[in-house]
Amino acid sequence: MITPFREAAAQIANAYVEDRVSSGEQTVGYTCSFMPPEIFHAAGILPYRIRGIETESMEIGDAYYGPYVCTFPKCLLQLAGQGKYSFLSGAVISTGCDAMRRLDECWRKAAEDYPDALPEFFHYFDVPHKTDPHAMSWFKDEIRRLIAAVSSHYGVTITDDNLKSAIACYNRGRELLLELEALRAAEDMVISGTDAFAVAVAGTVMPRQRFNEHLEALLNELRTAAPEPADGRKRILVTGSINDDMDLVRLIEETGAIVVADSICFGIRSAADMVSTDGDPVDALAERYLSNSVCPRMFGAYDQRFATLREKAERTGTEGVILQNIRFCDMHGSENSLIENDFEAMGIACLKLEREYGPLTETGRMKMRIEAFLERIS
Amino acid sequence: MRPEIYQYNFDWMLWRAIQAAGKLADGSEKETEKMLRYIPYFRKTAEVFIGMGKPGITYLKLIEKYLDNIVTAHEKGKKIVMTTFCFSPSIFYAMDIVPVTLEVMTVIGSALWKRGTTDYMDYCVELGFTETSCSSQRGSLGAYLAGLGEDIDLIVTNTAGVCDTNANAFAFTQKYLDKPFYSLNYPAGLTDNPTNQYHRDDFRALIEFLESHTGTTLDQDRLRAVLDETAKQEAIVAEIEELQRLVPNPLPVTFNFIIYGGRFFFAGMPEYTELLSDMAEVVKDNAQNGRSGITSGNEKKRAFFFYIDHYTLSLSLWDWLDRHGISHIGSILSRSFKDDQPYMKGMEDVAYSIDTTDLDTMIDSIAMINSRMPMVRSIRGPYDRPNMWGEESLALARIYQADCLIYNGTPGCRNTWSNVKLLAGDLEKAGYPTHVMYGDAFDERVESWEATAARLEEFFTIRGLL
Repeated sequence: MITPFREAAAQIANAYVEDRVSSGEQTVGYTCSFMPPEIFHAAGILPYRIRGIETESMEIGDAYYGPYVCTFPKCLLQLAGQGKYSFLSGAVISTGCDAMRRLDECWRKAAEDYPDALPEFFHYFDVPHKTDPHAMSWFKDEIRRLIAAVSSHYGVTITDDNLKSAIACYNRGRELLLELEALRAAEDMVISGTDAFAVAVAGTVMPRQRFNEHLEALLNELRTAAPEPADGRKRILVTGSINDDMDLVRLIEETGAIVVADSICFGIRSAADMVSTDGDPVDALAERYLSNSVCPRMFGAYDQRFATLREKAERTGTEGVILQNIRFCDMHGSENSLIENDFEAMGIACLKLEREYGPLTETGRMKMRIEAFLERIS
Repeated sequence: MRPEIYQYNFDWMLWRAIQAAGKLADGSEKETEKMLRYIPYFRKTAEVFIGMGKPGITYLKLIEKYLDNIVTAHEKGKKIVMTTFCFSPSIFYAMDIVPVTLEVMTVIGSALWKRGTTDYMDYCVELGFTETSCSSQRGSLGAYLAGLGEDIDLIVTNTAGVCDTNANAFAFTQKYLDKPFYSLNYPAGLTDNPTNQYHRDDFRALIEFLESHTGTTLDQDRLRAVLDETAKQEAIVAEIEELQRLVPNPLPVTFNFIIYGGRFFFAGMPEYTELLSDMAEVVKDNAQNGRSGITSGNEKKRAFFFYIDHYTLSLSLWDWLDRHGISHIGSILSRSFKDDQPYMKGMEDVAYSIDTTDLDTMIDSIAMINSRMPMVRSIRGPYDRPNMWGEESLALARIYQADCLIYNGTPGCRNTWSNVKLLAGDLEKAGYPTHVMYGDAFDERVESWEATAARLEEFFTIRGLL
């Protein structure tokens, strides 16, 4: 039952996307976990988290972005310019970080040189960096502005009932992911970290209803599966910069570790945060997506983030933490040092690993460092 | 960090050096000449200021006062706030809080010491900053993180939504030093009603934060005095910058630097008004006599820096421009966007106004001033939206009759490095030769000044500008 997830996570134009294209249904891409996909689900549109896998060169990304910029948005631009995202009828660019928000201009400008690279619906979604009441009010307005833009462009009506139904569907997915997270942390291995990560990634690019159905089936299978002995493999938590690439988790596990937990954008970072099903659904979405401060883009909320990480590490019996950051990702890079200090003070060893996003061109170097780290904690 | 660096407090060293520099011109010419021999590295920088006459000396004394305020703040029972250059210090002065503005402290150290502030930059990396984080904060922040400066009482920044690396540096410091922290956060818009309301709400929350962490109450009369002084200052700046439109430009090349530097140090305080008055006299005299501010008197070209300047020992950028007859007609840091500035015609929406009718209007005014500070004003939203970086750069280039535009920043600037190629392309299409500098405004190890100068030379030559 893991196959649908592996397949969906392994390619950009997955089978669900292809189906929608052939049936004339809409798919809209988005770039940040602070954008509520429930809005698109409620409109009958597939929300698709835009990814950077399958990048093989960077001439388009490098042509529009400057040199001192993280490779993740460059990969997204590269793929957009190459037409890999031609199945998207829309895209929402959020203010996740400076490099990601500038994808708005870079994509639009690239489309002047690469015809058809730009989806018809192209929306800038401005997310506050804090949770004060006035910031929350701004975020609610942004959500309403997005709903209005989607409704207008696609000629759909997004009612409160549609939104509540979407929220219920996404919350169900979160409950299932939480169960998966618990199984992943079992003493003996029920599911590998690589597969668990694939499930989480697939959840961002599959229709949610289908995702829930597949995940229920997978969990049924895992509940009764015979666990594979851990054989002394070290229990690792991975956190830091954005990652949607299974190969990174696989690389860690192939060196003799089990990734028992993650706190990564695209991973199972905040499944525990349900959207309230009471009251105004826009208010509920805003409260959930802004309040959990899961990313260092929420300045000044380090303690909240570390408390979540510590709880995760303690619950899963983490023996080592890998703190990875993409070069030029200053927010995760610097915060990783704070996390390292705090975990080391708790007696949990850490490895800080700077890398480039994209095809794992640095596999040898990273493998060597991870092996050395595992030796250290053995 | 090298052990010897630990021996002296960063802010104290700056203070004593600038204090001595400010007194250099007090003696006879012969005495000054003798003294300069004892400061071989700082000599050229000191000579630039002394050579400027009264405005230069006033500027050194103003910096000295700024540093004196910092090193004596706690003795005087005042709180110290760590803040950023794009945050107007006026509100702090209105509440008797002493600002330590990281970037201006980095600039002083960079212009003063042969080694610049690189030891402090690297110390931040030792503590866990990425080496790619912006050098403008790291150059002085490292000293404060190492305990080599006055203790910081609270941290206030306003770059969330504008500059991640800046906001991140302050957020890191909040955790590392365990200090109270407030960050204003700017939306992508600038002039729409919800954004204006948001600016007001956020600033009121900031005032509550300041009051609760300093035990100071915002005094209406004091705030009014600061705003009245700000209005007076901006009227003088308007006069100076209007004359900058003349060909030849009567402003000496360093005057833009002094105008914005003074604003970052002492906006709303009489010290800055005095400096501006001294500068206005020089500029008016040059203008009346049709004289260029360039030392040779021969203005060959006019350059607009559409981001920031380059701050290294000996103020090499300005020296290079002056020697080549290139007039510096401003940067993103230069202009305040007050409603009565002549260049605001056609950009009225972007302007701020000062209304001292009552406390509410004054808080609204100061919130507006802050939202129009450099960088937070025009690189918050997509660069090609109305009033943003592209439109503003082109408008100012036209008004001040630029012959070319130049980008200079730091490799730490994720924001502008993500779209500067696009903007440079637009500027070229609009007919302006545009040069992108790849060095670091605060750290010559990235690219030596000599290499930067060679590239500037190449640009001006190849594009037929010189």
